[in-house]
Amino acid sequence: MITFFNVSCTFGKEAGVKNINLTINEGEFVFLTGSSGAGKSTLLRLIYMDLFPEKGKVVIRNFDSSKVRSSEIPFLRRKVGMIFQDFRLLEDRNVYENVALSLYVSHYKTREIRQRVYNVLNQVGLGHRVYYNSKELSGGEQQRVAIARALVKEPVVLLADEPTGNLDPRVSSDLMSLLTRINQNGTAVIVATHNYSLIPRVPNARLIQVNEGEIVNPT
Amino acid sequence: MIVLWFLIKEGFRGLWRSNYAGAFSIIIIALSLILIGFGYVAARDTLVMVENIRSQFDITIFIQPKVASAELENFTKELGNIREIERIIYISTDSAAAQFKLEFGEDIFDILDYNPLPPSFTISLKPPARNLISVEEVAARIKKFSIVDEVKYRKTFLQLLEKYQRLIFVAVVSAFIVLTLISIVLASNSIKMTIFSRRNVISTMKLVGATNNFIRAPFMIEGTLEGLIGALIAAIVIGLTFYFFNNYLQSFTGYRAIVSYRFYGGLIGLGSVIGLLGSMRAIRRFLE
Ligand SMILES: Nc1ncnc2c1ncn2[C@@H]1O[C@H](COP(=O)(O)OP(=O)(O)O)[C@@H](O)[C@H]1O
Ligand SMILES: [Mg+2]
Repeated sequence: MITFFNVSCTFGKEAGVKNINLTINEGEFVFLTGSSGAGKSTLLRLIYMDLFPEKGKVVIRNFDSSKVRSSEIPFLRRKVGMIFQDFRLLEDRNVYENVALSLYVSHYKTREIRQRVYNVLNQVGLGHRVYYNSKELSGGEQQRVAIARALVKEPVVLLADEPTGNLDPRVSSDLMSLLTRINQNGTAVIVATHNYSLIPRVPNARLIQVNEGEIVNPT
Repeated sequence: MIVLWFLIKEGFRGLWRSNYAGAFSIIIIALSLILIGFGYVAARDTLVMVENIRSQFDITIFIQPKVASAELENFTKELGNIREIERIIYISTDSAAAQFKLEFGEDIFDILDYNPLPPSFTISLKPPARNLISVEEVAARIKKFSIVDEVKYRKTFLQLLEKYQRLIFVAVVSAFIVLTLISIVLASNSIKMTIFSRRNVISTMKLVGATNNFIRAPFMIEGTLEGLIGALIAAIVIGLTFYFFNNYLQSFTGYRAIVSYRFYGGLIGLGSVIGLLGSMRAIRRFLE
């Protein structure tokens, strides 16, 4: 589903990623691990085409980084969910509006939007917070809103960049269970993290170790 | 449809949230439209006044002394055939003498023992012919008649009039264009501040797969609304000023500013266009 063909994407001299060959399949749960600055975020950004390779190409389903036009990128992003350490919610809107935004941009009908948003909020355990303002929520709840926003468009893959970075350990653990459940429903999940303690939470996950821009244990 | 509703709501929401930056673009658009509006009315009425002066323009045809009345009659008929002529006034030798007495307070017969004043015609031209080219052409045609001694008109007056008319016209059109462009640029700069303050909305929208048009639309709606509000303010200011002017100052100035609903419609249309173009210019940079 996602394939890196000998991808290099560097910033200046050394930083970035080099010679990446990698295939991630439908429904996989993947940990991208490595210390800070290893290149994990860069790999994720290449997947949602926030960055483009200097050499090689990244292919996600039928989107090919070497051929894609910028007007097609929104359609890729509707298939790829993203969550971040800092949640990136719109603070001036309530939970419902934050999640519904994901569907409004894809021109869904109001009734379907409503139904889907309620479903996904129940799924992430926020059914009782629908009309709360995002600022009134705890960190763990905010991250679940972000997950709901990514999930509501039924993506083929969910990318999580340090999703537990701002959460305390107990909440992090809950979050990993939620991601596991999402994965069991068929969505591929890629978690980039330098927090190795998360790994045992997902027993069947595939580990990809990144070091100084290169994959250490190619599979 | 739902999308459109969503985008319109986003536009209004943006306008509501943008507070200072939004108010700033509204004020800028209002000020430019006030200038444009007053400038337009002033220029229009100046041109009307110039046109009025032009309507008083006439040509005097002096006839040779001692022509037969049959010839004179024939010539009058010929004048009547010239399409450009609107009005013909014949001034006989006698009435010229009377005119002389009226103007100089002396009887011409007291100075000379005969009347040297030739008979003459004063003609005025139809409005489209009241320009230098037509006047010269008509004058040349009249001069060809043998009974005509001289054709006189105030050439420099006409030249000056035409020069100023052109000048006013060019000044007004260029002021209009410059003001419109300036207000588009200023409005777009303050809309840029609004957009900058909401760049997280833009990046979130990009993240969840919004197309550029989808991201652009609310800002365009917001800009158009700002233009609309600015134009309404300008229309109210101009309308009240004219109302005050016409009701309290007309007796001093003798001038009445009259504008139609079309004028206000034009202001509102122009304001919306300024806001729309300003927002399109502003958003460009944020979408690469
Ligand atoms: N936009 C950028 N400009 C310059 N250097 C960057 C940029 N983004 C990332 N880098 C560098 O690339 C390397 C990998 O970064 P990143 O992928 O963010 O690492 P990680 O997510 O594993 O911590 C780091 O050395 C980082 O400083
Ligand atoms: Mg990172």
